[in-house]
Amino acid sequence: MPTKAMFLMIRQLLQRPFTNPFPVKYAPKNVTKTIEKVKLGQMSINNPIPVPDGFRGKLKYDPERCIGCRLCITVCPANAMEWIPEVRKIRHYVTRCMFCGLCVDVCPGKKLPGETAPVKALSMSKEFLLADYDKYSDNLIVEPTSKEQSLNNQEPSSDQK
Amino acid sequence: MTLATIFYAIGFPLLGIILGLLYKGIDRKISARMTSRIGPPIRQPFWDVGKLLIKETVVPENAVAWIFNVMPIVALASSMTLLLYIPFGIIKAPLEGYGDLVVILYLLTLQALAMAIGGFSAGSPFASVGAQREMILMMSYEMPLAIVITGFALIYKSFSLSTIALTPVWTLVGPVGWIGLLLLLAALLIVTPAELAKLPFDIAEAETEIAEGLLSEYSGRNLALFYLSDAVRSFAMVALEVALFFPFTFSQGFGLQFSEPVSYIIEGLWFLAKVLILYILAVTLVRTSFARFRIEQASRLFWTYVNIMALLGLILVALEVM
Amino acid sequence: MANDKVSKISKRYEIPIGPIHPALKEPIRVEAEVKGEKVVKVDVKRGFAHRGIEYMGMKRNAIQTLYLSERICGICSISHPYAFVLASEKALGIEPPPRAQYIRTIIAELERIHSHILWLGVVAHEIGFDPILFWTWKLREKVLDVLEAITGNRINYAMYMIGGVRRDIKESHILALRDMIDYYRKAADQMKDIFLSDPIYKARTKDVAKLSQDLALKLNIVGPTARAAGLRVDIRQDIPYDAYADIDVRAVVPQDIMGEVNGDAYDATLVRIYEIEQSLDIIEYCINNMPEGKLLAIPNYVALLTTIRKTQGEGIGAHEAPRGEVIHYVKYDGTRDGPVVWKVIAPSYNNINCWGPLLLGAEVADIPVVIAFIDPCLCCNDRIAFVKDENGRVLDYFEIHNMSVNKTMKIKRMLGV
Repeated sequence: MPTKAMFLMIRQLLQRPFTNPFPVKYAPKNVTKTIEKVKLGQMSINNPIPVPDGFRGKLKYDPERCIGCRLCITVCPANAMEWIPEVRKIRHYVTRCMFCGLCVDVCPGKKLPGETAPVKALSMSKEFLLADYDKYSDNLIVEPTSKEQSLNNQEPSSDQK
Repeated sequence: MTLATIFYAIGFPLLGIILGLLYKGIDRKISARMTSRIGPPIRQPFWDVGKLLIKETVVPENAVAWIFNVMPIVALASSMTLLLYIPFGIIKAPLEGYGDLVVILYLLTLQALAMAIGGFSAGSPFASVGAQREMILMMSYEMPLAIVITGFALIYKSFSLSTIALTPVWTLVGPVGWIGLLLLLAALLIVTPAELAKLPFDIAEAETEIAEGLLSEYSGRNLALFYLSDAVRSFAMVALEVALFFPFTFSQGFGLQFSEPVSYIIEGLWFLAKVLILYILAVTLVRTSFARFRIEQASRLFWTYVNIMALLGLILVALEVM
Repeated sequence: MANDKVSKISKRYEIPIGPIHPALKEPIRVEAEVKGEKVVKVDVKRGFAHRGIEYMGMKRNAIQTLYLSERICGICSISHPYAFVLASEKALGIEPPPRAQYIRTIIAELERIHSHILWLGVVAHEIGFDPILFWTWKLREKVLDVLEAITGNRINYAMYMIGGVRRDIKESHILALRDMIDYYRKAADQMKDIFLSDPIYKARTKDVAKLSQDLALKLNIVGPTARAAGLRVDIRQDIPYDAYADIDVRAVVPQDIMGEVNGDAYDATLVRIYEIEQSLDIIEYCINNMPEGKLLAIPNYVALLTTIRKTQGEGIGAHEAPRGEVIHYVKYDGTRDGPVVWKVIAPSYNNINCWGPLLLGAEVADIPVVIAFIDPCLCCNDRIAFVKDENGRVLDYFEIHNMSVNKTMKIKRMLGV
C-alpha cells in the first residue's frame, strides 16, 4: 500500500545524500595508515562543514597579554585552568574544558605600548578536531611558554610534588 | 558423479552466497540513499560475514548447546537447497525433477523453523519471545503462501517449477484470471517481507522491543551462518517470485535471437536484472517505508485481509481454468 | 531453583529492559514479567545516572554552577540554566533588561523545536521506523545550525547569565531565523502528513500508553505528556515569565486540534508537532517586537559575584522545558558567592511515574513506545542515590568511604603492590 512515507523515501532517493562525507566517504582499510598519509599530505580528506563566526573551539592563549589576574580561574566551571605561580601565568587543560567561553568574557587583557585598547589574552579559535590518544598530549594542554622551555622549567617542581 | 554434479554441489551454493550478499549490499545502499544517507559500500555484507567468521562463537550457559549450534547450519542448508530448485531464466534448476513447489514451500518453512528452534534453545527471555513471535507469524503467512501455490497448480495442472517457468502464466488465462493472478501476486508480495523477516514484519527480531529477539544470543560463526542464510533466502524468494510471475525471457520480450552460448549469458543477466528490480520494489522500498507491526496486528492482517485476497484470487483463477 | 520452575510452569518470562537496552537511550531498568505477549507485572528501577551534580554546584560559585546546570542534560541545555537564572534573579532581586528577556525566550523556543523533532525521530525508531528517524533528524539540522550561528555551539549554548544573556542576536541571525521559520512551517506540515496519516504509525500509537486525565493528575504528570492527556498545564501559560508574559501562550491540547482526547502516544505526537508551530509563532513575535537595549543587568562578572556574596535570599525558578516543567530552588546566604542550597526538579522525574500503570496489561511490543512517549531524560532525573547493604539498611557516606578504602587495600594485596 503506498503511503506518504513511501513517496518521501522515493523522493529522497532522487536527491543527493544529506551526509557530509567527512573525513572520508567510506571507512578506510587501515585507519592509522590513512591518518599518517593525511599528515604527510599524500592524501586529502573531505572538509568538515564550516563553523560560523563566534564558534567556541579550542582556547587560544597569548601569554604576552596575560596580566595574571586569575579571573579565568575564578569563573571556569570545569576547573580547567591551572595557576603557575612561578611565571604568574595559567595552564589550560583542553580535555577538561567545557567550551563555555566565560574565561574569554572575563579576561581583561593587556594594552601593549602603542595600542589604544587592551587586547584579551584568551580567545576562542575555530579548531574543534581535538581527538587524541593521550589526554595530556601537547595538543591538549595550552601552555604559557613553548613546550621545551616549560618542560625545563617544570622538572624540578614536578619532582617536588 | 559427474562434473556437473560437482559444479552444482559446490559452485551453485557459492554463487548463491555471492549473489545473496551482493543483493544485500545493493539493498542496503539503496535503502541508505532513500533515507538521504551515503550508506555502506556494496561490498559491506562480504566484510560483515568475514568479520563474523573470525569472531568468537559464544554459546550461552543455559542453552541447549547442540540444537543451538546445529540450527544455523540447518537454516543455511535449507536456503541453499531452496536455491537449487529455482530455474535461472532458461537455465534449468539443478534439482529439477527431484521436487516441486511443495518442496519449496517446506524449505521456506524449514528455514524459519530452524531460526525459531534456535531461538527457543538459546535460553534467553528475548530469544524465547522472539521464537514465539516467529512461530505465530509463520502460522499466519503460510496459508496465503499455500493458496498462491495452489493457484499455480490449478493453472498448470502441475507443481513443477520448470513447467511454470517455461510459459508465462499470464498467457494461459483470460481477463478474469488476470485479476485473480494480480490478487495472488499482491498476496505474495505482502507475504515476502514476512517470509524474509524484513520490516514491517521483522517482529521476531524487533530491535527496540526484544533486542534482536531470535538472534540476541547468537554470535560469531553461528550468526554469520544465519546472516548468510538470510541473504541467500532473500535472493531465492525474489527469484522464485520472478520465476512464477515474470518468466518472460529476453529474446521473447524483445524478439531477438542469439546463438547458444550468448543467449545463456544474456538470459542469465536478464533474469538477475529482473530479480534486482523486484528485490528493490518488494523488499528495499517496503522495508524502508513502513514501521513494524505488532504481532497480533500482523497476524490479523494475514489471517483476514491477505487470506481473503489470496482466496479471491484463487477463486477467480479457478473460475477461469475449470 | 523453585522459583524458576514455577515461572516455567505458568509460562511467565521475566524480560529485563535495561540498564542497557536498544529501546533506552539512557540507563534505567524496567523489569517486566510477561505471559505470552502481555505484561503482567512491572517494576521500574531508577538511579543509574546519579552524578552528584547538585553537590558539586553547592561547592562552586554561582556563575560556575550556572554552567554546571547546563551540563545536567545535553538536550535540555537551556532549560536548566533558564530555571537556575530565574531562581537566582528572584533570590538576588535582579531584573534582566527587556532585550535579554526576548533573546532568552527565542533560544528556549529554538531548543523546544529541536527537542520535539528529536522526540519524533526517537518514537519512530522505537516502532522500527528508522527511515523517519533519519528524515526528522535531517530536518533538525536546520535549527541546530541556527543555534550554532547565534550561540556558538550546536548544544550547550552557554548563552544565559544571571541578569541577562551573554550574546546578542544580530541582523544576520534574524535573517537566518526568518529563513528557519519558513523552513519549519513547511516541515511541520510534512511531519503532520507523514506521522499523523501513516497507517502503521497510527496502528502502533493509537490506544498505546493511554493516559487518562485522572491518572495524569494523580501522578502529577507534566509537560506535553500531560497536555496530550488533555490537561491545560503549561508554565508559559500559568506563570508567564520573560517575554512569555507579553505573548498569550496557550497550552496545546488535543481537544483543540482534533476535538477529542485519547491521551495516547498518537495524541502526544499531535501535541508535539503543533507545539513546534507554536514555538515558530513565538519566535516570530519575538523577532518582530524585540526591544533595544543592553544585554546584562550587571555586565561585570566580578561585580555580579560580589553582589551575590553580599545578598541573602532564596528563589524558585520554573521554566517550561520541552519535556515539561523544570524547577530550580536556589538559596544564597550572603557568606559565599555561590548557592548554599541548590535543588533541581526535572520533568522526567514526575513523568516516569506513569510507566508502571501504563505498562501493566500492555504488550511487549508497546514497552518501547510507553518508554519513549514521555521523552524520558534520565540524567535530569537522578538527583539522589542510596546505597543499601544486603539487609536493606542505607549506608552513609563514611561507611561507603571505608568500604571503598578496604576494597582498594584488598586489590593492592591481591596484586602484591
